[in-house]
Amino acid sequence: MAEATKIPEEPERVEQKDVPQDGLSRLIQPFGIVFSVMFLLITAFTLWEVLMRYVFNAPTFWVHETTTAMTALCFAFGGVYCLGTDRHIRVVLLYEAVSPAARRFLDIAISIVGMLACALMSWAAFTLAEKALYAPGGTFRVETSGSAWNPPTPAIVKTFLFLMLCLMTVQFALQAIGHMRRKPTDELHHGGSEHGALDV
Amino acid sequence: MFDLSALGIGGGSIAMFGMLLALLITGMPLAFVTILVALIFALGWFGPMAVPIVTTRIYSFITQYVFLSVPMFVLMASVLDRSGIARDLFDAMKLVAGRIRGGVGVQTLIVSVILAAMSGIIGGEIVLLGLLALPQMLRLGYDKHLAIGIVCAGGALGTMIPPSIVLIIYGLSANVSIGELFTASFVPGAMLAAMYAGYVMIRAYINPAMAPVPLEEEKLPLAEKLKLLKGLILPMIVVVFVLGSIYAGIASVTEASAIGVFGVVLSTIVRGEFTMKLLVDSAIQTLRTCGMIVWIGVGATALIGVYNLMGGIEFIRELLTGVSDEPIVVLLFMMLILAVLGMFLDWVGIALLAIPIFAPIVSSLGYDLIWFGVLFSLNMQISFLSPPFGPAAFYLKSVAPPEISLGSIFRSLLPFIGLQALALGIVIAFPSIALWYR
Repeated sequence: MAEATKIPEEPERVEQKDVPQDGLSRLIQPFGIVFSVMFLLITAFTLWEVLMRYVFNAPTFWVHETTTAMTALCFAFGGVYCLGTDRHIRVVLLYEAVSPAARRFLDIAISIVGMLACALMSWAAFTLAEKALYAPGGTFRVETSGSAWNPPTPAIVKTFLFLMLCLMTVQFALQAIGHMRRKPTDELHHGGSEHGALDV
Repeated sequence: MFDLSALGIGGGSIAMFGMLLALLITGMPLAFVTILVALIFALGWFGPMAVPIVTTRIYSFITQYVFLSVPMFVLMASVLDRSGIARDLFDAMKLVAGRIRGGVGVQTLIVSVILAAMSGIIGGEIVLLGLLALPQMLRLGYDKHLAIGIVCAGGALGTMIPPSIVLIIYGLSANVSIGELFTASFVPGAMLAAMYAGYVMIRAYINPAMAPVPLEEEKLPLAEKLKLLKGLILPMIVVVFVLGSIYAGIASVTEASAIGVFGVVLSTIVRGEFTMKLLVDSAIQTLRTCGMIVWIGVGATALIGVYNLMGGIEFIRELLTGVSDEPIVVLLFMMLILAVLGMFLDWVGIALLAIPIFAPIVSSLGYDLIWFGVLFSLNMQISFLSPPFGPAAFYLKSVAPPEISLGSIFRSLLPFIGLQALALGIVIAFPSIALWYR
């Protein structure tokens, strides 16, 4: 058995590579670090709150709302990042069974339909962002959370969500063009999300 | 504008389901399929005034405080996966289970339970065990199928033993206490692990050739043993702290997850493994994983919101309760639906799409939602291992020796799937296994 199967003595962990799927995503990808570091900050802030509340018995007024808003921003950006590197979960039952030419056709179709979905969603989110930034009369004012501290986090998160949806629309459009231009036999760099959630 | 409401709720449900299925099968990402279908139905059924309902739901979905615990538990698991803690844990457990028949198999299962208590992510855990335990068992001459089954089934325990991302997402979807879910799932999770261990030992006892015992005791000098234990003390304290603070009701789940990240990072610093690269790689993985989970959630919330407005949840309730007058039959039918969905969809999608519809029905049948959460989690265990898409098999394939085919992995998993189904049956028959703490 041991002879038949080559068993590496010290197997190494291989980091997954994120391959940008289009030009815009190539520009966006470096921002991944920024938002990843934000996760570290969120953890640090939450720890600070734990420390202040349980050790010094002086809960902070800002951690809860700040971390919630930061997480929401990271989540929204995460969608852009996953789209840019093809990490979103998809069912590849048919996709993997068909010929390269049909696969290219599917890629084009998926990108165009995805673009439509994101465009519709951007439109829907525009109303949300608009209401968060402008009063019904049309004067500029920023929606705040309404707590004692009253930070403008709802306005920030809603606007950011709208912007991210716009980015995704463009990403899908660029990917559609990319797939139209490529030859069916070109090698694709899928993000490894083919068989369900690789990291979940 | 086209008027979809003319279809009626029955026709509308079929149209929605058909559209979802047709788009999904092309390979379009689940998140965008659900967003598109949600908006088509919001516009086609109600008109533009329904759109704000969708966006407001999405906004409140991504700004839930409990949701913070997901990135932090993912971060904790990612750091853990990149440290040598798992390797040391595996070596240390050799001292516990070394010489009994089937010992390395049992050792692997013990390690996977402890790892599961530190991380709620099965992908990383199966990869780790595939790298650590599988070569060791194969080298000893373990039966290939038994060894593969142990690694996959053990790794999948991550979703049953708290902290588990599956349970957090279920808690968010069904609107129940996540701390309580963690408490409830612990005993069934341990029971499942014990069933696996029992199975391994029985197989090894009946056919000793399947699980040879190491011939010569590898003499580990005492100094080495102590060094191993020293590196493990801190990670163990982390587990106790994180779970302890949740169970004791001291810290919220979110706060406990932050403490967990802190503990694991501190452990890597003490062990001399900490690098900036490790931290950044872990954080990037967190971003990736959360982007994936959350956007499926975004689409699912939008879709469920629209479907609910259409009267869909009421419609499904009538359909399901029409199956039988016996609540237990309806419940079993729901389990069957979840199992079938589990063959094709991943758990994130199922938890976020099916649970908001099922939860009110389960309540109205008079069943407990915490108990149902444990059943859901057990059910999803099966979906991790079951063909054609059982993710556990694919994770293992990525690190297993190339001669091991996907088919042979799935074949190895069959007895373990049987054990999972048995455990699910036991918890259905005896709810007090999950609700022991009440």
